[in-house]
Amino acid sequence: MVSELWLILGGSLMITEQTDCTMKEAKGYVGNKSAVFPLQLLGYDVDPINSVQFSNHTGYPTFKGQVLNGEQLWELIEGLEANDLLFYTHLLTGYIGSVSFLNTILEVINKLRSVNPNLTYVCDPVMGDEGKLYVPEELVHVYREKVVPLASMLTPNQFEAEKLTGLRINSEEDGREACAILHAAGPSKVVITSITIGGLLLLIGSHQKEKGQKPEQFKILIDKIPAYFTGTGDLMTALLLGWSNVMSLSFPSGSKIFSIVFPHTFSDVVVNKF
Amino acid sequence: MSTPPVLSLALPSDTGRVLSIQSHTVQGYVGNKSAVFPLQLLGYDVDPINSVQFSNHTGYPTFKGQVLNGEQLWELIEGLEANDLLFYTHLLTGYIGSVSFLNTILEVINKLRSVNPNLTYVCDPVMGDEGKLYVPEELVHVYREKVVPLASMLTPNQFEAEKLTGLRINSEEDGREACAILHAAGPSKVVITSITIGGLLLLIGSHQKEKGQKPEQFKILIDKIPAYFTGTGDLMTALLLGWSNKYPDSLDKAAELAVSTLQALLRRTLGDYKRAGYDPTSSSLEIRLIQSQDDIRNPNVELKAERYS
Repeated sequence: MVSELWLILGGSLMITEQTDCTMKEAKGYVGNKSAVFPLQLLGYDVDPINSVQFSNHTGYPTFKGQVLNGEQLWELIEGLEANDLLFYTHLLTGYIGSVSFLNTILEVINKLRSVNPNLTYVCDPVMGDEGKLYVPEELVHVYREKVVPLASMLTPNQFEAEKLTGLRINSEEDGREACAILHAAGPSKVVITSITIGGLLLLIGSHQKEKGQKPEQFKILIDKIPAYFTGTGDLMTALLLGWSNVMSLSFPSGSKIFSIVFPHTFSDVVVNKF
Repeated sequence: MSTPPVLSLALPSDTGRVLSIQSHTVQGYVGNKSAVFPLQLLGYDVDPINSVQFSNHTGYPTFKGQVLNGEQLWELIEGLEANDLLFYTHLLTGYIGSVSFLNTILEVINKLRSVNPNLTYVCDPVMGDEGKLYVPEELVHVYREKVVPLASMLTPNQFEAEKLTGLRINSEEDGREACAILHAAGPSKVVITSITIGGLLLLIGSHQKEKGQKPEQFKILIDKIPAYFTGTGDLMTALLLGWSNKYPDSLDKAAELAVSTLQALLRRTLGDYKRAGYDPTSSSLEIRLIQSQDDIRNPNVELKAERYS
């Protein structure tokens, strides 16, 4: 088996996607802490760059710690380069807090692709949720104009898909249309990880196997679990990467992901192809 | 004293919550990258504090990155404290590069024990190997006088055991004596992880079940593998923590499991490098940690402990 090497740029924390966080437990599984272990379990070598080191995630009343700036990020890349350690098969990014850091990420992508032109870049364009932006507004522009075109796979939620396409997503057709717009901008694989339509929670996935071709699209209906969690978005993106790489995104991969994440909730997971 | 976090109450008694303060390298398996994954595989919740973030380990011709100082370490502890998140069952430390950082670690130990008096502190007193010191000389004194007395379990190599006891270890009796000296200083469990005596490679373990009592001691003979690896010491200590917590009264069984895991992993690493057409003696090898996860979870015990009577 060819060993896969992932470079993951992620915070050891991420702003929670939920407004209420009643979990006082110190697990702190967000960002890299949410993504790395599952990928390792799936057999990947994962090299994490921690963009911050915080005591706990920012959903708590308080947090303390240190933030990496763009220069320090680039230092690490230079160290790897000096030792010929820049060959990666995949790059994964999640929450990014500033335009300058995001701009450095663009340089990282180009640097990695100069070493391996076949690098798969999986981008979770973390910007907000449930109608609310939780990053600076300027990042939206950078994601849309500069980052999305470089992504191989994109995993926005409904809000982020709307921001990146300018489309309001009120129906499954809108979701599918948003995917088509994003394919045209860059990524051949798009998964809108959570869409609420008429009280139902859905995932919509889309794979454009050849540029200009009609994409293969599907949806998965998800049971809503009556609680708030943190880190699930980061975990979801990591699992999508892990499994889509193994199965080249054939339809069973969707159901397998959910049966792993929510094994006790789903007795039947149905993947509906459009 | 704070109450344990909600889900800690639901923890099985043979796992725990570990605060692991070690180095982080982006690439390679040393420090926390060597310790955290195995402990997670064994069912522990691990909260790592990265004392450094380097591109790669310092055995390469060059490395770049950032170092945490004592104040920044303490900031993280304060953040955890402010949220009542300081209940840990275990603390794990490895390589520490400066006296000031080591002194802050002392404060961390005390702070954690004020929250959980039963905290198990597993200390790998990383100072050097094969006769060479690779930390500042001043650390030796701090380890000996201040850190060792606070440790529950200590995992020195032969050189470090000599430094901490003032004893030269030339025989198994010397190794057992060194353990006894260390028990008297603090830890009830001591594992001298590698001793070379007359061409043979041994581990000597010692468990003093009650203060003042004669310790139960054992040895494990280890096959030497003809290559250099990095990260094995950090991995060994993590495995010893993981297994000794599951078998608290049988340090020999825990050591068998840890050593067997390590040997399987090293053999796989050597094999993989050879299969890739690489001469394994030409440089030190990065361990195949991810590829050995089954061995970590369910080691095949091939190397048995021999108890001293």
